[in-house]
Amino acid sequence: MSESSKSKSASNINPSPTLQCKDLHEYLKSRSPQFLETLYNYPTICLAVYRELPELARHFVIRLLFVEQPVPQAVVASWVTQTHAKEQSKACEALSELSVWQEAPIPGGLPGWMLAQSFKKNLKVALLGGGRPWSMSSSLEPDGKARDVAFLDAYALERWECVLHYMVGSAQTEGISADAVRILLHAGLMTRDAEDGTAVITRAGFQFLLLSTAKQVWLFLQHYLHTAEKRSLSAAECLAFLYQLSFSTLGKDYSTEGMSNNMLVFLQHLREFGLVYQRKRKAGRFYPTRLALNITCVKDGIAPLEAAASTGYILVETNYRVYAYTQTTLQVALLGLFTELIYRFPDVVVGVLTRESVRAALRGGISAQQIIRYLEQHSHPQMLRSETAGIRTSSVLPPTVVDQIQLWESERNRFTYTEGIVYNQFLSQAEFGVLREYASRCGFLTWHSERARTLVLTRAAHDDVKRFWKRYSKSS
Amino acid sequence: MADDDAPSDSSLLVIIVDTNPNQRYITEDPKVLTGCLDAVIAFANSHLMQKSRNQLAVIGCHFHKSEYLYPSPGKPLDVRQIDGQYELFTLVEKTIKMRLVNLIKSQPQEERPGESLLAGAMAMALCCIARMRREASPGLRLSSRILIVTGSSDTAAQYINYMNVFFTAQKQQVLIDVCSLDKHLSLLQQGCDITGGLYLKVPSLEGLLQYLLWVFLPEAWERKELVLPGRGRVDYRAACFCHRELLTIGYVCSVCLSVFCKFSPICTTCHTVFKIAGPLPIKPKKKKMKI
Repeated sequence: MSESSKSKSASNINPSPTLQCKDLHEYLKSRSPQFLETLYNYPTICLAVYRELPELARHFVIRLLFVEQPVPQAVVASWVTQTHAKEQSKACEALSELSVWQEAPIPGGLPGWMLAQSFKKNLKVALLGGGRPWSMSSSLEPDGKARDVAFLDAYALERWECVLHYMVGSAQTEGISADAVRILLHAGLMTRDAEDGTAVITRAGFQFLLLSTAKQVWLFLQHYLHTAEKRSLSAAECLAFLYQLSFSTLGKDYSTEGMSNNMLVFLQHLREFGLVYQRKRKAGRFYPTRLALNITCVKDGIAPLEAAASTGYILVETNYRVYAYTQTTLQVALLGLFTELIYRFPDVVVGVLTRESVRAALRGGISAQQIIRYLEQHSHPQMLRSETAGIRTSSVLPPTVVDQIQLWESERNRFTYTEGIVYNQFLSQAEFGVLREYASRCGFLTWHSERARTLVLTRAAHDDVKRFWKRYSKSS
Repeated sequence: MADDDAPSDSSLLVIIVDTNPNQRYITEDPKVLTGCLDAVIAFANSHLMQKSRNQLAVIGCHFHKSEYLYPSPGKPLDVRQIDGQYELFTLVEKTIKMRLVNLIKSQPQEERPGESLLAGAMAMALCCIARMRREASPGLRLSSRILIVTGSSDTAAQYINYMNVFFTAQKQQVLIDVCSLDKHLSLLQQGCDITGGLYLKVPSLEGLLQYLLWVFLPEAWERKELVLPGRGRVDYRAACFCHRELLTIGYVCSVCLSVFCKFSPICTTCHTVFKIAGPLPIKPKKKKMKI
């Protein structure tokens, strides 16, 4: 008999924790069906969810929208060509995950699909009209001090940068509330320093800074919604209001009349982050800014609806040089995360991407993809223009640079991590052989060494192997 | 510009609605027009619903002129929500209805309604697409298509204009889709075939919206994945330049390639003079070898 001592490997599979930025689809997937059910009572959410669906799924929804009885699954499958069956099953899965449709039996015993009642009703309301108006659209007197789009853009940018500046610990700490700090801490973007209790930025925080503004806002709001439940704000109500904002028109004022107290509190928070503009707390009207409108565009590739003021400023050359036309310390600091800065002038910074500098960033948990995305997002209009004239590539950056950054990353990823269980100290070679035979037959075997009489099996196999071992030792 | 394979960031749809009062379905029951218009508006809104950056233009095509129904030139209407409909959709609906009323009111009363100016409307649509492309921010992949919803029959009177528009569209990589409400339109079907769009003659007007959503809502690259009504045989007969009749065999000017149904000594398009050769000499048949 052998005693097989089992030592579990460390559960930390991923050595560098990367920042998770879920889009709406993933966020909703992680919620309960009941929560989704309440959400689908808001036409705005239905609209937003619809836009987030894969193309084929959108096609299914729009074709089922005006059908009252369940439709056989075989019929739905026949809408798609045979060669794209994989996309079709993916679309069906997405719709089921978000409980946009449910299985419903058809008289005759065939399985069928039927759109969720509330989703169907409210999507129709959003598309065709009917139902109650959204909460913020009561009529208003024309605003004597109406604000134009340029003003709102500037305001939104200033407010949001305030949050970002606070994160990088710039001296400027005014204009950020305890609530915002709490969210940053909750999100793990900042932590309390062990010694003096001041908030300092974490690795995740730096990754956060590299995201596009729209993604930053969305991530931030996700964490806000998490904490909102603790503050007796209903997450569903907040989410619905956010999407209402995202479907509003820029440069137009909306009324706060008829909004509940909770929502007014929420509005004040949004005002702080620059998602809405209000002249006075009691003004009775507010203007949504571009930040709020951008919430729905998280998934889209290029920075959407970006204000003219915040156009790109980075030029990347094939010789790995990076020129950034900027004055703000925040942007310089971000660039410094993965480039080696060589010159600094009043309005331009010159850096170079080197193996060391990029590897330092990778060690800090920043991924190559994030670096590339950041450079792409903020690339200078000149670079975008040269792309359309020349060869079409998937990125506006020089392909050599993109490839090299990716190579530098893959250079580090020479290990693949698999969770497993070690079995060793077998008493005899025969016992070792039996177990190895069994494991390799069932496909559990990850690694083995004949000389050390050690086996590494997959985690899931543990119970099965234990049972097998009991049976084996009893019989012998 | 537009690439059929890659998904685009933004898609521009120009809808041309034929509002000519002499279409058969309108003369039979004028109320049907409202139904059709509602279907087209709902379809337009569903297009905007697909992606936040999708763009839309609607052109009304009448017998005396064509006009933009949406977006309205100048300042957009100030619209407040009245019900649960998305504000933008309300704006689209209101603008189209208001401007259509203006268009119909502006028609000359004394004239008998003639043919719809579809080719002109298509040219307007192409101009609109060209402008949007110019104004689009660099790096944005914009795909564009034109949808024509019409109940009139196509006559060969606008043949040359049609062909010019079709080939321009093909060159600009703009798809032309045609949804016929009444008759089979062979000329426009040629246009669909040339530009890679879809042609559909709606069997019944009641289900118009469903047909529109099914066939015409998916973008070019999505259409490959879907089972859509196939392109049937396309009638590629050309119309002669003299009487606008569709021909299978005719005379072609060797200089400018104009088509005529009868022989004429001077080409009316390029004024080339052809010698009157008289009746074609009949070649004496070669004598077959006798065995």
